[in-house]
Amino acid sequence: MNERFDGTYFDGRSGRAHAATLRDLEAGRYVLEGDGVAREGAIAELTVTPKLANVERTVEFGDGARLLLPASAPIDVWFPRRHRLEALVDRLERRAPAVAAAVLICVAALAIGAIWGVPRLADHIAATIPSGTEHSLGEHTLAQLDRFGLEPSALEQDRQDELYARFQNLLHGLDRGVADRIEFRDAPGIGANAFALPGGIVVVTDQLVHRLRDDREFDAVVAHELGHQQHRHALRQALRGSLVAVVAAVFAGDVSSAGAVVVAVPTFLLDSHYSRGFEAEADAFAFDLLARHEESPRWFARAMRVLQTDDENEEDFAYLSSHPPTAERIAQAEAAAQRFAAAHPTRCPNGVCAGDVDEAESECADCDGDQGSASPPREGGEEE
Amino acid sequence: MDDPVITASEPQPTAPPAPPEPAPTEHPFEFSGDAREYFRIWIVNLALGIVTLGIYSAWAKVRSERYFYGNTRLAGVPFEYLARPGPILKGRLIAVALFGGYVLAGQFGEMLQLGLAALIAVLTPWLLVRGAAFRARYSSWRGLRFRFVADYREAIKRYLLLWFPLVLTVGLLFPYMKFKQKQFFVEQHRYGGHAFALRATARDFYPPYLAAWGALVAWAFVSSMLTGAIVFSFVSQQGAHGPPPAWVSYAFLVPLYSGYFVVWAFLNAALANLLYNRAELGPYRFRSSLNGGRLCALYLGNTVAILCSAGLLIPWAKVRLARYRAQSLTLLAGEDLADLHAEAGEDIDAVAAEMDGLFDIDIGL
Repeated sequence: MNERFDGTYFDGRSGRAHAATLRDLEAGRYVLEGDGVAREGAIAELTVTPKLANVERTVEFGDGARLLLPASAPIDVWFPRRHRLEALVDRLERRAPAVAAAVLICVAALAIGAIWGVPRLADHIAATIPSGTEHSLGEHTLAQLDRFGLEPSALEQDRQDELYARFQNLLHGLDRGVADRIEFRDAPGIGANAFALPGGIVVVTDQLVHRLRDDREFDAVVAHELGHQQHRHALRQALRGSLVAVVAAVFAGDVSSAGAVVVAVPTFLLDSHYSRGFEAEADAFAFDLLARHEESPRWFARAMRVLQTDDENEEDFAYLSSHPPTAERIAQAEAAAQRFAAAHPTRCPNGVCAGDVDEAESECADCDGDQGSASPPREGGEEE
Repeated sequence: MDDPVITASEPQPTAPPAPPEPAPTEHPFEFSGDAREYFRIWIVNLALGIVTLGIYSAWAKVRSERYFYGNTRLAGVPFEYLARPGPILKGRLIAVALFGGYVLAGQFGEMLQLGLAALIAVLTPWLLVRGAAFRARYSSWRGLRFRFVADYREAIKRYLLLWFPLVLTVGLLFPYMKFKQKQFFVEQHRYGGHAFALRATARDFYPPYLAAWGALVAWAFVSSMLTGAIVFSFVSQQGAHGPPPAWVSYAFLVPLYSGYFVVWAFLNAALANLLYNRAELGPYRFRSSLNGGRLCALYLGNTVAILCSAGLLIPWAKVRLARYRAQSLTLLAGEDLADLHAEAGEDIDAVAAEMDGLFDIDIGL
């Protein structure tokens, strides 16, 4: 051996720095000599900090004294069996292929986590949340909405009762507890819309009721919201958003400290990704529910067409934030309507069912040209 | 920003009999970390953490901390982070267990969950003290460790009980509370045979907060006026073609938010300067010259970079921030650094350290 290591020595009792040299003697002993210091002992009593980039290596003496050596000092020959894990990690950190592999692992984990992990974990958590908690979350959300933006409904009581009866009718055959309340609200600021709040509350705006021309269109919209309720979308969406926010905050919160922005942007982008899946699921549920009530999914397509012309103001954002393109959803509904017609050949000769007169559609012929995407029933449980 | 204390304490040229104090020696903090180098460490350790389902994250934290400590030098001597991964892993397991318990408790009813949440709230001062003590004990410079004297009674007062009068005064006590908390945090620290002291009063904390509040209110007013004007011009121009486009109704959030961002950076700089410029460690003092504008630009650059790189530039952002923070800080040594020494009550300390060891956890993620 016979190595010499020059470094800076601190005795652990004073802040005075001593230039000192560490040498090994025979029989596993060392000697340290420098300006005003001299000590010796067994190498086995020393420890050394693991290798890390260009950070100084520190030889620690049992009594708190320490010797700082340059990062390049080959001190590891004295301690061949220490810090094996860190030594391995250090080698990985210095090798380009290992770094490239690490990038791949992290990016893949990020993608898998966002596409698969967050939804799975959020859904697991959602499954553990008792319905009581979900109910109070829904009540709380509704109370917030009532404070900011929603007004009591201006619909006549008779009309409300009529629509309530249709709502009740749709609930037949569904599991109990899927939904138990429908609330009508005047929402000049929001426009024609419907939301599914956590805990089985469906909110329908007066504007939506006025806009729809047939109560079967109302059924279609409500069936979509019931789809959200059946699958607890509001709660699951809220949990997914929270998880994304937590992960983003843990990794990037302290560096930009606009923390909020670093957190909000990915949360927003992933939210829209997740909610598209939920919308498609709710649509499929609605088609099925309508068919079970002997109503053609075509009413869903009609409701979509009518609401498509609702003020553009909402739409750009509604598209980005929650819904798959309306055209695609209408096509899905029409396809479901075809299947419905095929299943009811007597009622629906040539694919047109009795009672489904197409006059309503021709009435709105001019509004179909609009390619504006987006739409009406938006589940709104996320807002806290 | 000029600091009144520093300027006031400089030897007066006309100072009569007393021999003028020698000007303190200035030791600037230096940070020598490199973004590329740290990126390698960060990504490899992150990947190992992922592969080991989080277990390795304690080792990763130690490597990361050691990198930043070891690259921060004062008077040519690097800081050292001495913690071992074991206790950190323990702290993380406890945190995960608490969170898991909280989630599970939901299954057994809201009351249990609320109870657990209350317990966590009550434990907060204890966790803060433990965290500070842990970090201090494993931070070392010139072979001397820092120390944080745990005082739970004071911690409970300042981190928990002060919230009640704060709520009663609708937040007016906020700067006062912040002062009490920072003072506690600074003054419980020990290093090199001296206790840290904060030569500031609650009154010093009001101007930055009041300025920040004032700026926010003024900005909210201006930005809503601006947005109102824009919306109006759209409505009046396009009234014939229907309502204004959607982005207009969301646009007001952007100036509002960027205003918040800027104010936050300036407030942060002012508070950090206040804290360092008024802190004393026996004959040693500090000069902090963080600039709100530069800090703001730094945060902005970091935010954009992180968002555009899907997080891969987080190491770059961290290194940049650490470098600027170090650049802005200077130690004013009124005494030779060799005069620093381990604290007198060494034996008592040893016992305290043993006791601390039982609860050796590090909660910070």
